[in-house]
Amino acid sequence: MKFPDLVLTGWAEIRAHKMRSFLSFFAIAIGIATFFYTLSVLSQRRQYIQTAIDISGKGRFSTSTEHPLTLQQYADLQRLLPLGTSLSFVADWGYWRIAPSYKGRKISELNLAGILPSWKDVDFAYRLEGRFVNWQDVENKRRVAVVMSRPREKLFSSVWSTYGPKEENPPIPLDQLTYRNNLLNQQIQINTETFTVVGILHIPSLKEDPRLDNCRNFVSEILIPYTTWYDIQSTSNDYFTTDIRVVTGRESTAQSAAAQTISYLRAQFGTEEKPEIKFFNETVKIYKIAAYASLKKMLLLGLIAMIAGGIGIMNVTMAVIYSRTKEIGIRRALGATRWDILFQFLIEAMLLGLCGSAAGMLLGYVVLLHTAESSAQMTFSWWVIVLSILIGLLTSFLFALYPAWQAAKLKPVDALKYE
Amino acid sequence: MVIQCQNLLKIYFSGEELRALDGVSLSIQKGEFVSIMGPSGCGKSTLLNILGLLDEPTSGEYFLNGTPTAQMKDSVRSRVRRENIGFIFQSFNLMPRLSVVENIALPMRYSGMERKLILPRARELAQRVGLGKKMSNTPLQLSGGQCQRVACARALANSPGLILADEPTGNLDSKSSQDILELLQELNKEGLTIVMVTHDSKIAAGTHRTIHMKDGKIL
Repeated sequence: MKFPDLVLTGWAEIRAHKMRSFLSFFAIAIGIATFFYTLSVLSQRRQYIQTAIDISGKGRFSTSTEHPLTLQQYADLQRLLPLGTSLSFVADWGYWRIAPSYKGRKISELNLAGILPSWKDVDFAYRLEGRFVNWQDVENKRRVAVVMSRPREKLFSSVWSTYGPKEENPPIPLDQLTYRNNLLNQQIQINTETFTVVGILHIPSLKEDPRLDNCRNFVSEILIPYTTWYDIQSTSNDYFTTDIRVVTGRESTAQSAAAQTISYLRAQFGTEEKPEIKFFNETVKIYKIAAYASLKKMLLLGLIAMIAGGIGIMNVTMAVIYSRTKEIGIRRALGATRWDILFQFLIEAMLLGLCGSAAGMLLGYVVLLHTAESSAQMTFSWWVIVLSILIGLLTSFLFALYPAWQAAKLKPVDALKYE
Repeated sequence: MVIQCQNLLKIYFSGEELRALDGVSLSIQKGEFVSIMGPSGCGKSTLLNILGLLDEPTSGEYFLNGTPTAQMKDSVRSRVRRENIGFIFQSFNLMPRLSVVENIALPMRYSGMERKLILPRARELAQRVGLGKKMSNTPLQLSGGQCQRVACARALANSPGLILADEPTGNLDSKSSQDILELLQELNKEGLTIVMVTHDSKIAAGTHRTIHMKDGKIL
């Protein structure tokens, strides 16, 4: 029998036995829904991690030193690193070390970071309003600032303002300040200096932030030129660190660039300098392990559901074969081969598997719609759809194989006598 | 010689040995219309099943169109059934959910015939057996006589040389029985070899030759 005829025959039988078909179909659909959901989450997490890596740059690592680094040292180190490497120095302190204020009111809950224009090369997921810090700002130690602004969805209320000492005129957290005021071209005071806000960095909402969790902004920052930062520090003898952030652009050059950086720092500050190198790769690995661990359990659940679905198909196919033994005999008498009978039942089961897969994917999609953590997670990969269909087809194929073979093995004369 | 059997033996083992066929030797020429008669359980249907390659003898030789069938693989037996033999059963054995035309088309679906040729041929056969106006009906909407006509048309689907009919009139009234007999006679005149099992001596009288069986033996 030709394939289209087998499909049509299978479809006619499915329609003729609606309840039985529905039971098989339902069992498969539940299994596929679990698989589809898990695979979609897996695919979306993969995509999310890939996007996070893309915007972070390849061959990324960071280290820090307890010494201040000069622009000359920046130029020296940049020369040592591979061509095209993005190098960035970041000096920062918690806000309690500084006293920023806006129109006479203290600002709290922020980091004040001294940065270079290359800060923008890594994890730049922001929308920039105005302009960013440029080299002229750095070279001339300008009093300019770029302020981060967070969308109104902060999930955690301010710990400080909730539990901190109550004051007459309490400091305003930076996030609250930026909710209420557009600081662009406004002036803020840092220590005794007046800074002009030249740019606002709008932090993406949690749902749209493409960066890995630990690369996101837990505390909003005021960014000022790196050189200006040193210039206004009155307590520069205190403990502080300068972060050195490097992105070579290629994973293969990260190790050697890290070695170059360490040897440069040792040459500058002596052999007791033991900078710790943090490779972004390692962070990604740890993140991946955590992200995929929970999925394993879900896949296992999906597998159990599929086995249950498969057993359902097997059971129903067995029952079908007993009830259609006479029909098998007639078909054999009319010239059907064993293979024709085998394929007839397999294709019938696989059609059910196919319909079950489609319904399962729809169900999985609905569950995803209600549980998605972010809109970025609602994109679907074609391989998830293909794999879900294949799993549905394969399960129905494997579990229908034994009953179908039993049907094919029947002797025509015995099948014909069956009533 | 279409059919030649020598010393066919069919033994069923169900607690005790039952000889359904006990040394049956038989020759049927091309174009013959042969009826097999005998009491219930005498082995008529067993013989017909073996002749139709639906069953295998315990021992003995069976040549179909000069070809020995003993060593035939299952796939070859299926092909021979499909291409060379048409079956007509007492209980019609039609597919209840398929229409008249689809029932007639069924053997062609297994024959590998080009799909677009199948339905026109099935319709032509339906016309031939006088069911031109019932083509879309299902067997449940037909009388016994009409069902047997569908079965006859189905048996002719792949233009076999041999028709095996197992009590084709057993479930029919006398008028329908006569109609079916006439149809078979007509087919026989066109050159088909027909072997028919029957209880009805009037029907058997309409054939060229009657073989009588008793206790698994030809009398």
